[in-house]
Amino acid sequence: MKILVLAGAFLALAFPAFAQELYVNTEPASNMATHSLGIRLENQGYFNPVYKNRTTLELMYGASRYLMVHGSLYQSDYYQNQQHFEGGSVYAKYRFLSIDSVQSHFRGAFFAKASSINNPLPNQEIALEGDNSGLQGGVLFTKLMHKLALSGSASYLHAFNNVGNYNLPLTNANNAIAYTLSAGYLLFPKTYTNYNQVNVNVYVELLGKTNPGYGQNYLDAAPAIQFIFNSLLRVDLSYRAPLWNNMIRTSNNTYLVRLEYNLFNVF
Amino acid sequence: MKTLKIFIAVLAISINIAHAQFTKAEVQVSGLTCSLCSKATEKSLRTLNFIGDVKADLNRNVFVLTFKRDVPVNLDQISKKVQSAGFFVNNLKATFDFDNVKVTDSYFSYAGDTYRLINGANKAITGPVALTVVDKGFAPPSTLKKYSAIGPDNVIGKSGRVYHLAI
Repeated sequence: MKILVLAGAFLALAFPAFAQELYVNTEPASNMATHSLGIRLENQGYFNPVYKNRTTLELMYGASRYLMVHGSLYQSDYYQNQQHFEGGSVYAKYRFLSIDSVQSHFRGAFFAKASSINNPLPNQEIALEGDNSGLQGGVLFTKLMHKLALSGSASYLHAFNNVGNYNLPLTNANNAIAYTLSAGYLLFPKTYTNYNQVNVNVYVELLGKTNPGYGQNYLDAAPAIQFIFNSLLRVDLSYRAPLWNNMIRTSNNTYLVRLEYNLFNVF
Repeated sequence: MKTLKIFIAVLAISINIAHAQFTKAEVQVSGLTCSLCSKATEKSLRTLNFIGDVKADLNRNVFVLTFKRDVPVNLDQISKKVQSAGFFVNNLKATFDFDNVKVTDSYFSYAGDTYRLINGANKAITGPVALTVVDKGFAPPSTLKKYSAIGPDNVIGKSGRVYHLAI
């Protein structure tokens, strides 16, 4: 808890200027524009003890001004020697609160995720991004002020047995609580003149999970840098490392590279 | 040559007949800070068939809309498109050309809808005038509250939706 308070204070101090909420490791409470489509191609992985990586293809669609949906497919060699197709997940986010004024807003959203995955289950962490079949539901709030954007979420996860007769070990938690705290800062441009300027945003995100009743916790820090070209193409780079961890996971330290392309008014 | 003269004469006459209509609007959008969000909003606005051009001021979050000359403008659609991009209209100031339009008891009609001027109608109104829409969906609650005491609309003999405009 002390770490969390310190980290929060650090975030508040570190980002006193323009802020952005296109978070790399979490979602903001805002949605994409209605009828716009985002296509994400992502690779994350680690080098120790051997190089392993996961590729994710994600489609995101603004269904209405309140609702957006994501669908993701996962492939990795995290649990096998070869790359293989691991399964998929669906995600929906409903914005229920918007208090907007010029260059600032406070928004709230509910979100839910379901995944079906065919990997073995050696880990204590429950993660629906390619590792576990399960359900997740939660709430998130994003406060964007002219000079600071903060976002926080809390959610509940429930894991099922994985596809392919991979049963959750009896000694493992099948429920978890996840929480996140994110901050973003617009580095460039200092002032906007047109849509083609490259935007550079930096982020620091705190990502935590706990398995209640099992004494298993982690809190990761994930700094990230983001480039947006022509207000259409987004490139995210992030590195994730634990501030605190006593949970068995695939890896503690992972990199993330992501490309996102946005299409407006598609269907 | 004669044909050309007639053509020019006809052209000159038709230019002189000013169209009574909305010619442009300045829309300030709330909740925006990123250029990707502004672009989504602009793309959403451009799907409206009566909008000829959109110019964005990315620092002030203002979109200057130029309307097509012969397509009726629907202000509600503008608000709807901004909201579907995920944002809200904080202020919409539209320029209406009052030539050939009669304002009766603060009311005028345009493209099937009714517009009520909530101030300034005691003076003669001619030519292009900038009007701020003070209805839900076009201004924040604090602004709407300011104009809440204007009294009920006189809808007798009027058609469509009633917009409320401040000069």
